[in-house]
Amino acid sequence: MKEYRLDCLGEACPIPLMKTEKKMMDLQVGDMLIVMIDHSCAMKNVPEWARTQGHNVDIEEVDDGEWEIFIEKVK
Amino acid sequence: MKEFFLKISNNEIYQRLFKNPFSYVAGATLLAFFNVLTFVFTGNGWGVTGAFANWAVWTLQPLGLDVSTWPSFASEAAQKTLAGGFLSDGVSVRNLGIILGALLATLLASQFKIKKIKSVRQVVAATVGGLMMGYGARLASGCNIGALFTGTANLSVSGWVFAATLLLGAYIGSKILKKYLM
Repeated sequence: MKEYRLDCLGEACPIPLMKTEKKMMDLQVGDMLIVMIDHSCAMKNVPEWARTQGHNVDIEEVDDGEWEIFIEKVK
Repeated sequence: MKEFFLKISNNEIYQRLFKNPFSYVAGATLLAFFNVLTFVFTGNGWGVTGAFANWAVWTLQPLGLDVSTWPSFASEAAQKTLAGGFLSDGVSVRNLGIILGALLATLLASQFKIKKIKSVRQVVAATVGGLMMGYGARLASGCNIGALFTGTANLSVSGWVFAATLLLGAYIGSKILKKYLM
């Protein structure tokens, strides 16, 4: 049950999504990845991708224009 | 005052209108609706980048640039637009409106943020990419709005040709991106 953080602040689409896809491959089932983003369209496409993969996703707005996407690897 | 804003930020209508992203279908419908309005009222479909070339001319003319002999500005209509200035060029004013509108939207959503520059690599990529996109848009006589969006909406074959080459460009671009920016 490890927790990883992925800093994508300042990165525009599609880099946050590509980095998330890559990072998720390193995770074991049950691990959690927290993706930090400040690009609003990544707030849409990163969770969308993770949900189509069947992972548990939660989004938290941590500041003005800044979000943390929690992705729990379930398979 | 603070309580008032807290109350608003939790309001469902506020969240649906200003905070959460519209669905793709809602966005597409709005774009189609406004493109029809644009066409009805101006006689032209929606375009963006053509005006940027005018902005460059207006900026560089005082420094001695003379474009009167350039083929792309040779037409009477182009000369008239250049002579008329920024406020008489509807496309320029609309572009300014898009920029101000985007600012207003991000402020209303309380999502305004000045982003950090991550690396020199990012600056180089943005500069080179921007120059290539601008130059390409001039060569193609339009961008993904004027050539693709308005083109396909007008049932023009050129819009679909643009779409095919755009996809090819995006494919190559994403390969380059993966190699140098990831």
